[in-house]
Amino acid sequence: MTDENSSQDAVVIERTFNAPVALIWQLWTEPEHFKAWFGPAGATIPAANMDVRVGGARLVCMEIDTPGGPMQMRFTGDFLEVEARKRLVYTESMADKHGNVLSSSQAGMPDGHPTTTEVTVEFEDLGDGRTKMVMTHSGIPADSPGAGGWAMAFDKLAALVEAQNAQ
Amino acid sequence: MTAVIDDDRLNETFAALANSTRRAILARLAEGEATVNELAEPFDLTLPAISKHIKVLERAGLVVQGKRAQFRPCTLDATALEEISTWAERYRPVWEARFDRMDDYLVGLRPQRKAHSAR
Repeated sequence: MTDENSSQDAVVIERTFNAPVALIWQLWTEPEHFKAWFGPAGATIPAANMDVRVGGARLVCMEIDTPGGPMQMRFTGDFLEVEARKRLVYTESMADKHGNVLSSSQAGMPDGHPTTTEVTVEFEDLGDGRTKMVMTHSGIPADSPGAGGWAMAFDKLAALVEAQNAQ
Repeated sequence: MTAVIDDDRLNETFAALANSTRRAILARLAEGEATVNELAEPFDLTLPAISKHIKVLERAGLVVQGKRAQFRPCTLDATALEEISTWAERYRPVWEARFDRMDDYLVGLRPQRKAHSAR
């Protein structure tokens, strides 16, 4: 079932960076740069493979320290639009260690959740060495990388919230 | 009624959730109230350690600990969770944090860039 509010289910963030657009583009498209900023605190990015061209594949491996030892999560997808220093669009899905997309149920998510999200980044050269960047991430919670470890706990808790509201 | 989401509060909520023990405590409380002793049972942790986790959850507004008697049962407070119940609001802080790191990373690159572009 699609959430009736799914049209609102997107993160849109606008930021202006004090750096030229060429560098901001590199931060998104060159693995060594990407690894440096993408992972959350307590996580490392052992691998980020990016074939940056339309139809090119993308595979990002994230390793997170947990009390039970390091946990690896992999995200795979394709570049849909590549317009250097202007616009970058790619898809993202959870994947197994071979890079095969995991369905929502295989990834431990409830049935009916789409397996793919989409990230759009728009770059604007402000002409004074600064760059405006607008990032839009649209998709469904359970399949979102950052939601990963939290997704199941959230599902359980969301059900409880609903139950409490019903009282 | 539109809930205004306080950024600091949201950050605190996410920080509290970014720990598997605390998520397990919340999952247990989702089934009903429990004392600290009951909450400690499944874990190989001391009571003070569990109490610390509960304090973090309490500060994040996720858990309320009763004041009565020596049992002080904990209950789940759904309010904070409601604030982050849409996917976008759950995920936004993740991206914000990434872009903060991007900013820091750019600052770190700056001297190097200057050296490269020095004429």
